[in-house]
Amino acid sequence: MVTAPRLPELQECLENSLRDAQGGIVGVSVQAQQRSGQSPGCSEQSRPCGVQRGRSGRVRPAGPGPCRPPSRRAGPWAERGGAGMAARAGRCCRAGLSCGALLSPALLSPAVLSRAPATPRWGRAAFSSAPAVSGREGPQAREGSVRRRGRTLQFVRSAAPPRTERMAVDQDWSSVYPTAAAFKPASVPLPIRMGYPVKGGVPPPKEGNLELIKIPNFLHLTPPAIKKHCAALKDFCTEWPSALDSDEKCEQHFPIEIETVDYVSSGTSIRNPKARVVTLRVKLSSLNLDDHAKKKLIKLVGERYCQETDVLTITTDRCPLRRQNYDYSMHLLTVLYHESWKTEKWESEKSEEDMEEYVWENSHSQKNALDTLLRIKASENVSNVTKEELLASEVVKNYRNSVIALKNEGETESNISQYKESVKKLLNIQA
Amino acid sequence: NNEGEKQILNSQIPVTTDRHSDNSHLALQAKHTEQHEGRLYNIPLEELSAVFPHGLPHRFQQQVLTFNEARVMVRKPALELLAYLKGSNFSHPAVRYVIYGERGTGKTMTLCHVVHYCSRQGWLVLHIPDAHLWVKNCKELLQSSYNKDRLDQPLQASVWLKNFKASNERFLQEIKTQKKYMWGKRECTEEGRPLREVVEQGLARVRSASDAVGVLLRELKQQSHRGSFRLLVAVDGVNALWGRSTLRKEDKSPVCPEELTLVHNLRKMLMNDWSGGAIVTTLSQTGSLFKPSSAYTPQELLGKEGFDALDPFVPIPVPNYSPKEFESCYGYYLERRWLQHEKGQGWGGKRGMRVLGLELVSSKWAKKLDKLNTDFCTHRDAQSFAVPSVSLQGPRTFPPCASGLISSVCPCTPRVST
Repeated sequence: MVTAPRLPELQECLENSLRDAQGGIVGVSVQAQQRSGQSPGCSEQSRPCGVQRGRSGRVRPAGPGPCRPPSRRAGPWAERGGAGMAARAGRCCRAGLSCGALLSPALLSPAVLSRAPATPRWGRAAFSSAPAVSGREGPQAREGSVRRRGRTLQFVRSAAPPRTERMAVDQDWSSVYPTAAAFKPASVPLPIRMGYPVKGGVPPPKEGNLELIKIPNFLHLTPPAIKKHCAALKDFCTEWPSALDSDEKCEQHFPIEIETVDYVSSGTSIRNPKARVVTLRVKLSSLNLDDHAKKKLIKLVGERYCQETDVLTITTDRCPLRRQNYDYSMHLLTVLYHESWKTEKWESEKSEEDMEEYVWENSHSQKNALDTLLRIKASENVSNVTKEELLASEVVKNYRNSVIALKNEGETESNISQYKESVKKLLNIQA
Repeated sequence: NNEGEKQILNSQIPVTTDRHSDNSHLALQAKHTEQHEGRLYNIPLEELSAVFPHGLPHRFQQQVLTFNEARVMVRKPALELLAYLKGSNFSHPAVRYVIYGERGTGKTMTLCHVVHYCSRQGWLVLHIPDAHLWVKNCKELLQSSYNKDRLDQPLQASVWLKNFKASNERFLQEIKTQKKYMWGKRECTEEGRPLREVVEQGLARVRSASDAVGVLLRELKQQSHRGSFRLLVAVDGVNALWGRSTLRKEDKSPVCPEELTLVHNLRKMLMNDWSGGAIVTTLSQTGSLFKPSSAYTPQELLGKEGFDALDPFVPIPVPNYSPKEFESCYGYYLERRWLQHEKGQGWGGKRGMRVLGLELVSSKWAKKLDKLNTDFCTHRDAQSFAVPSVSLQGPRTFPPCASGLISSVCPCTPRVST
């Protein structure tokens, strides 16, 4: 669509309007005034001129992009000259003309028309700039363009292409993210999507994705970055002893592991109360304990012992200083060790409920089995069978194992069927 | 029509509608072997009331009323038990068998099958239908006159004595007491009197019913080794004896089961210090107190005390229906017109079958059942059966029988050559 030539009057009006600017609403009201002159209604109605109109003439809201603060300075306009102004004016005029419902053509057209022949104020610049301006779709097309947003004008910064496009594949990543930083989509050359997908669609992309910015990332801790950290720290380290080249040797020579944590934070104080906590870990197999001592120690420490890994963990934090906590944990270990070796008088009262695992000897099961067998033997008139003989017999051993398995491991199908078989053999039941 | 049915069912299920061999089952029962597995055998109703004055599951009783016949399915656990009983040495101490399994799999019906077999064989059956009834919901608790620490339960004891008398008349006449028993200050039972008098004393004087039960058990235990009779002690829900009870004394303190006379005496009966019989028990979570509903294994339900008391015992697991058993049961219901087919009124056969057999039937079997159903429908005319409405109470309820029954209901005469 070829735009109508800019009326010279309009151009001149715009130039003049700067001189008699009225408050902040420089462009619109003055233009309106200029355009239709005596119709004040136009000034209000021309507000929708802020709406960009494309070639199609449909109302299209201003596209997404950085919101530009309406510039109220008259200065730049004068500097930029008539071209920008004319563009504004032209657009406004066009907008005004096409939003027919709002503007009464009756008001406009005679006014415009009447103006036309009188003062050819629009220069060639207006004419030439209009088509260029009319081709603009969004506010951010080129440098130095001014976008109308509502009653104010905004400067549109052009969007530079993201840094990712200029990144080489073999670049030094630790210079992109030298420290912990938020996720910058323009700096991370990965096509990441995150978030809940639209129905039938995909998760949102990384541009402007708050989900990616919120979460912690480790882009500053890639292996090459860590290598650099280690290289920097190496100056402060000593050599690893060559004799300790396997875990077992470490375990054997240094069975006790002490764990402490140091805290660094930016703030006025270098102290952190959490730094006093000391954790001592030791495997009970590396301590010299007999069966009774081990059971007693496990009962003494309670929750601090892990059955699967055979590790005793003592955590101390009752003293204010780390050194003191360390000493205390070593003291605890020593005391536990020595106490578990002692046998108190009252330990002989240990009952069946206190036992850690099921022991068949002197249990009800053993008693029942022996009684039953003795009765069976008595009914068969076989005498002189001693308990020891019975206990040593194969069937009883089998029975004993099955009962122990049943009690210690719990009831499974296999355990129960094993028990059944052993009882059948014990009682000599034939099917 | 019968022929048509047989044709369809023959191929899949060894179930007949043949009524002629009803009476032959009496001799056959002793010959039940693995080949009869899955089949249903009939118990004549008069015998049923004689052998089972108490002890049948409620749903089975309802089914008996509905179908006017009692059919018990022959299943593997029962066959196994019967084999053990047949081969057991009665001079050895009594062997204890514990039937266990998940809910609704047929433990009580297995027990009933064994009880029926033993009573057929002429054993004296001491059948305690549900030991849980003795540890809960007792209205009256009297302090025992025999032992100050114990408590009597006159109502439960008298009910049990009545049923026991009904099922074992013959024995009560034959067996004589070996000691003189004093009931209170004035009454006594002399030595050498038939046990029937003890039972009648218990029934007449309800206060001494629990002691009468105790005396009865003691006498039977002492005399069983002689060999004049075989004693079967059948206890359903034996885990009640070593569990907890919900009863309270007058001062609101809880009652331990061993403080109850009945429980105390029964526990003594379950020890294997006597010979000349067998002890068959069932574990039951249904009706148990303070046990989680998922518990079904011996140790879980018996607890430490119970396990130690019953040890060594032979555990007998009872699983759900196998496909063959399920088909047998299904065929029986079809034959009895209990299940409606989809062409008739009522709920659709396919859908209903799927719902009913959920626990037991995999999808493969569901399809097979559908096929069965459609075959049935195509061969018969589309008739609408006036069948009582089915209440689908859960996956394992086969109408009209419920829980234990899916496993063992619906007897049909086995096609056995006599």
